[in-house]
Amino acid sequence: MYRQGDVLIVPVEEAAVPQRVAGLPGQPRDARGRLVLALGEVTGHAHAVVGPGELRREPGPFATAWLHLTEGGRVVHEEHAVIPLPKGWYRVVRQREYLPGAVRVVAD
Amino acid sequence: MTQQTERPGRAPATAPADPARVAAYWRRAAVATAPAADAPRERAAAEQAVRAAYRAAGLAEPTAVVRLDSPLQALAAALILGGGAQAVLAGPGAAQAAAVLAAAGRRLADAGVAAEPGAAGPSVREPVRTAPWERSRRLVRERLGGAGWAGLWALTGGELWPQTQALTGRIEGVLTDRLAPEAEAEADGTVRVRATAAVRAVRSALLDAVLGQHDAPWLAVFDAAGPGFEGDLAGLAGLAAVARHAGWWWPYERVALVAARPTTLHRDEAGRLDRADGPALAYPDGFALHAWRGMPVPEDFLAGLDGLTTERIREEENAELRRVMLEHYGYDRYLADSGAEPLHRDETGVLWRIQLPDDEPVVMVEVVNSTAEPDGTFRTYWLRVPPATRTARAGVAWTFGVPEQDYLPERET
Repeated sequence: MYRQGDVLIVPVEEAAVPQRVAGLPGQPRDARGRLVLALGEVTGHAHAVVGPGELRREPGPFATAWLHLTEGGRVVHEEHAVIPLPKGWYRVVRQREYLPGAVRVVAD
Repeated sequence: MTQQTERPGRAPATAPADPARVAAYWRRAAVATAPAADAPRERAAAEQAVRAAYRAAGLAEPTAVVRLDSPLQALAAALILGGGAQAVLAGPGAAQAAAVLAAAGRRLADAGVAAEPGAAGPSVREPVRTAPWERSRRLVRERLGGAGWAGLWALTGGELWPQTQALTGRIEGVLTDRLAPEAEAEADGTVRVRATAAVRAVRSALLDAVLGQHDAPWLAVFDAAGPGFEGDLAGLAGLAAVARHAGWWWPYERVALVAARPTTLHRDEAGRLDRADGPALAYPDGFALHAWRGMPVPEDFLAGLDGLTTERIREEENAELRRVMLEHYGYDRYLADSGAEPLHRDETGVLWRIQLPDDEPVVMVEVVNSTAEPDGTFRTYWLRVPPATRTARAGVAWTFGVPEQDYLPERET
């Protein structure tokens, strides 16, 4: 389990990846060829993965994303230290905050 | 600027559209503002685009394209031309509505349009917007298949939809409140009936609107399905061009009403309207929305935030406004000034609780960033967690939706 700022990256056994993940569209890479886990819309800073693999995102605002790294990779961000990741499957969770009667995504 | 050269996307027409780039382009279009100094150019470009949209629909161009300064003013003009103004003037918001309707009426008269029901002819939203929309959707679905359509939507329009929808929903709500407010609780039956009729007139006029820049999610998916708007999708080029130069607009047979884009738009990272020192959304005629992290607040409320004290915050009876006050004051400062006690402390952080009268307590985890700032310090931040949280680790784990015992990061930065 790895945390970079408001993003948690949880290793998952391949057998434990839900069937539906295969049907999710693969996210396109950004202009720098990275898989963007979370984008700060105003700052433009991003938690992104460098390395061969694929990112599949569930629909919805608190959506879990599924990251498959075929040879391992690195998580990078403009303000956080780099985290190396071994090859394998990961569940990517965005940090949230409690509000009375609602829950919202943390804007890092 | 002809229909054929009008390209909403940036990729060359021959290259397959990159959904991420197209989505980014339309995300910018959806939240674009136009400074007042740009008004003449903006107005000319919007008018040309509107005329192109009529031609693409096989209709004669409108005899007048009337520029309005906000969706409020444009809606008022639509009420005048559509016959709903009388119902609004008989409702409980008559005094406020009268001024807006008068301003809209002057704009119509200046453009040579009689400010009376029927002067613009019937709405042509169906042939101008809905029919080409439907045609494009059918074509793209046939081309990509059901799964392909769903996948493309997820990468383009689906991503833009929630925030655009939230914004248009908020604007609609405020427009309705301004022109057709609810009757007072103690109002008699006649007033209630008139209030209901006014709301109905406003909703009916809103149904005729084309959302201009706020149609970006749909334009994004059609643009990405392309390539561009060439060939089969050419019918949407005019609509796409209007979306780059105008806000909401009302197409009628002989007249088009076109509202300006906002001059001011402030949002937070989550895309919600957010500004502490002025309107979060404002138009050239002064129509404005005030909001703090998405929550609508009265204009004078924001002005009072500067002199906040812990007592003033505790005394605020409205829980939502109190939350705004707390966020503005700063949780950290409030913790210090109000003498809040830490509930629990472990290696993940500190758990704090602030008791509030007649409300659930604010429970927060204080977390320290693992990566140092450029000056060598570590940034501390606070996240609100459910009030029943008992340990700092449980709080942090909750923010990631993970059970407390499972939250064991081996690396944090």
